[in-house]
Amino acid sequence: MSQPMYVIVIGGGKVGYYLSKHLQDRGYEVTLIEKDPRRAEVLNSVLGEIVMVGDGDEMAFLATTGMERADVVVAVTGDDEDNLVACQLAKRKFNVPKTVARVNNPANVRIFKTLGVDVALSATEVLLDLIESELASKEAAGRSATKP
Amino acid sequence: MKLVIVGCGRVGAMAAVALSKDGHQVTVIDINRRAFDRLGPDFNGEMVLGNGIDEDVLRQAGIETADGFACLTNGDNRNIMAAQIAREIFKVPRVITRIYDPMRQDVYTELGLDTVCPTLSGARQIHTMLKG
Repeated sequence: MSQPMYVIVIGGGKVGYYLSKHLQDRGYEVTLIEKDPRRAEVLNSVLGEIVMVGDGDEMAFLATTGMERADVVVAVTGDDEDNLVACQLAKRKFNVPKTVARVNNPANVRIFKTLGVDVALSATEVLLDLIESELASKEAAGRSATKP
Repeated sequence: MKLVIVGCGRVGAMAAVALSKDGHQVTVIDINRRAFDRLGPDFNGEMVLGNGIDEDVLRQAGIETADGFACLTNGDNRNIMAAQIAREIFKVPRVITRIYDPMRQDVYTELGLDTVCPTLSGARQIHTMLKG
């Protein structure tokens, strides 16, 4: 059997927690990086010892996570600047093939892509698009209904 | 020259005052209004309240026509991100970034940013002074 994919998740908030949990359920090897030791303790007790306490932007620490053999690095902290730098370090220093970032300010999606992040995803933008397409289809339906 | 400084801490404020005294057109950005108090009465540049990694705030500060841009907030990553926005998106000709972490400074210098690392220069200076 081939090795399972190795995914490093940076940021142990709600998004990072659920992401790690589901990745584990699907058979991936997962390391979750969390800055706050108390939060990390809680995460470790529910996820099984996969959490490492440290700063996802500190080079010396990242070198201890086995990042050079990671297939994917996903940065999902609540701060865009931290997610950007984590992805850039993963890509440039550890040659990680795929980097994914959560983007809080939708305007940063384009910036992240320009600056070399493979996938930049903004929940706000996704929701906006959904609402707009919902409205558009309602309008279209309204128009066709009023046609004689 | 038209210059934009992000971060009105001790270093940012001092640089802003000195540059405006030299006759440059200086705009300072900070997320905390009280930080502008550091500029004192002699500063005759502009102040913009907002986040230095927000494109709209940067535009409001006149980044599109700036000749120089300095990132001097106390967050390395914020500085790194603001600097890259200035360089890659707005094509500001001269961009200077302060990075406290020497290893991150290494990475981003390699990537082409002009960086200042007070940790390294401070440690070097202390080393020299202690040796006597």
